[in-house]
Amino acid sequence: MKTSLFCSRLFAVALLGAGVVGCGSSSTTSTTDADGSPAAESSLTGDIQINGSSTVLPIGNAIKEQFDAEFPNVNITVGGAGTGNGFKDFADKTTDISEASRPIKAGEWEACKASGVEFVELPVAYDGLTIVIHPENDWVKQLTVDQLKAIFVGSEAANKWSEVDPSWPDREIKIFAPGVGSGTYDYFHEVLAKKDKAALREDMTLNEDDNVLVQGVAGNKDSIGFFGVAYYEENKDKLQAVPVVNPDSGEAVLPNKETIASGEYAPFSRPLFIYVNAESLNKAQVQAFVEYFLENVPETAEKVGYVRLPEEVMARSVANLDALKTGSHFVDADGESRSGSVVDIFTDENLISE
Amino acid sequence: MSIPIALERDDSVAEAAKARRRKQLSGWFYLLCVAIAMLSVVVLVVLLVSISVQGSSSLSGDLLTNSHSELQPEQAGMWSAILGTLFICGVCALAALPLGIGTAVFLEEFKPQRPELRWLRRVIPLGERNWEHICTLLYKGTRWMHGFVQLNISNLAGVPSIVYGLLGLSLFVYMFNAFGQITVNESAGWEWGGVQHYYQVLSLERGQVVLIPQGERTETTLTVDEPMMALLPSGEEVELALWTPGTPKPKSKELRQRTVRAGAKGGRYSRKDWYYFRLPFGRSFLAAGLTLALVILPVVIIASQEALRSVPPSMREASLGLGATTWQTTRNVCLPAAIPGIMTGAILSMGRAIGEAAPILVILGAAIAKNSGPKHLMDDAVTMPVLIYNWAGRQQEVYQELAAAAIIVLLVTLLLINSLAIYLRHRLSQN
Repeated sequence: MKTSLFCSRLFAVALLGAGVVGCGSSSTTSTTDADGSPAAESSLTGDIQINGSSTVLPIGNAIKEQFDAEFPNVNITVGGAGTGNGFKDFADKTTDISEASRPIKAGEWEACKASGVEFVELPVAYDGLTIVIHPENDWVKQLTVDQLKAIFVGSEAANKWSEVDPSWPDREIKIFAPGVGSGTYDYFHEVLAKKDKAALREDMTLNEDDNVLVQGVAGNKDSIGFFGVAYYEENKDKLQAVPVVNPDSGEAVLPNKETIASGEYAPFSRPLFIYVNAESLNKAQVQAFVEYFLENVPETAEKVGYVRLPEEVMARSVANLDALKTGSHFVDADGESRSGSVVDIFTDENLISE
Repeated sequence: MSIPIALERDDSVAEAAKARRRKQLSGWFYLLCVAIAMLSVVVLVVLLVSISVQGSSSLSGDLLTNSHSELQPEQAGMWSAILGTLFICGVCALAALPLGIGTAVFLEEFKPQRPELRWLRRVIPLGERNWEHICTLLYKGTRWMHGFVQLNISNLAGVPSIVYGLLGLSLFVYMFNAFGQITVNESAGWEWGGVQHYYQVLSLERGQVVLIPQGERTETTLTVDEPMMALLPSGEEVELALWTPGTPKPKSKELRQRTVRAGAKGGRYSRKDWYYFRLPFGRSFLAAGLTLALVILPVVIIASQEALRSVPPSMREASLGLGATTWQTTRNVCLPAAIPGIMTGAILSMGRAIGEAAPILVILGAAIAKNSGPKHLMDDAVTMPVLIYNWAGRQQEVYQELAAAAIIVLLVTLLLINSLAIYLRHRLSQN
């Protein structure tokens, strides 16, 4: 039968095609030794599985890209399923490294203990959480933490600007916020409402896509919203950032690289982390990658829109990795999360291993 | 007998008026149809124009040959995503098309018939009356099964793809944990061939490693504290030398390459050939392709059934009348006549498979920074819809332009695959 012959030929061609394409492409890079002679391509091989925060994902991808140039045979998969999902995979032992836009929670640590996962906690960069309003909003000059609580926290929250400050217009507030699954939402919740055991208000417009939030705030004069500083930097022409009054100094501070790194922009500078499975550190490729990560993350984080950590914190990260100090600094012995700046919390005294 | 002239005149006037109204109505309806058709075309054109305007600046060779880049977005590309999509859709087609067409043939051409059950009578001798009874029951049972399968397939065609994604996750990725879970530091699951396990230890030469074949599978790390045999990455077998910290390091490069620090630890490393196969599949492109096959299977079945149903019964009867069996009739008469229709269904469903992002996100996760297509059967992959989804959500303008350009590439790929399928359909319907 002519038809079936044609079909079988076609199938054979398709298989051949798949085989040829399957050989894949490998990039070749040339590095040079200290003495100038070309060094052999690194023979370090193996897989590294990374998953976690979509906020940290660009940093992970960027480091992977640089690492690839030096160690082309290491196969690294960087996922961005969200901090919570990342920790779930981490406790299931399906990832070597978990990226997080907030410290590990007591419950997630319990899950790790239950499955026998020990980890090294490494802060790698800062993200400044920026509160934005419409550029034509001429009444908000600065906001205090209490005013933010009045706007964002609880079911009794202010519905009109005049309820926050009587001198402000009698108009309804429109709120745009990241989705409840995001680390950004969690962090905002923690700063404003965790101590009072309250929840953020429920009648906000939530969206996981930060571009939608940018458009929402840019399109309405009475709107307010919050997201990572990188999104604000890219959309400066459409938005206005609000200076936040530092609770300690009492001064209103605008978020930018200097104020975030110096800790002046408080309490909305949040640290970003990687958590490394201690057992995975026995693997040569993971060890090399994590060392490379800490070495290069200050410059790389700035390139992709984040802020470098103070040098003392980075130095402590490196020391913790070298000494293989497992455990978390951000959960105390009673299983409560500590709050405060990373400089104060990420110290040896606060390390809880068990 | 003839109709009176007055009556005939009135009648013709009324007839003419009715005809005019009908023609008017028909004209309006024609206009309505054209307007509706134009509306959908206009929407499509607006979409294409806006995408081309947004993406044309980023359409370049880099886009086709490079991979995602975080540090140099201007040079970011989608080569690995194109490869990943082709591989996943290949798996999907290889699984869904034979299975779907086969199911359609079974449902349409092999409807249960009473006489076919009678061969049982020869196998199990029972009384004639008992047999009539049993045959009737069996016939009813198979009829009911047939109707049940049919009903389910029709319903499944409307299920959202994310639901199939979740089904695929437990079915293919975890296989209901029947074979254990795949974890990063332990050898889990069942493996068949194409894999060699080693411990990998860093040597004193920067960036170079030595491999020590793994004996005991359960030991995840190895501590080197005595000289042993090892392999260089080139495959050469060497005797390891140990270096104690504090003593001077060896000078010769060849020696440094086979020297490790005393007490150095080596982690597991598996070298996999392209045919490496294991259960469960884990987050592999194979699992993703099979999940997409689930998504499009109902559409393939229904379209193939329609095509088979449209084959005139007279052709079937002629074949059967000449003494051909049902299978011969199906193979030589029904299938060739139905192939254009079956191919149309296959093209439509593959178009859907190429554009699916939701089930892929569930199965493979949101990873996009991969430099190559899948290297072995259990490797993961990046697909075009996931890459576009990620790029479109970035804050930088350049990635949004890239996303638009990537959409054009996706559309072109889709059109290319469709035209290939249409050519095949044409070719086959001529034979």
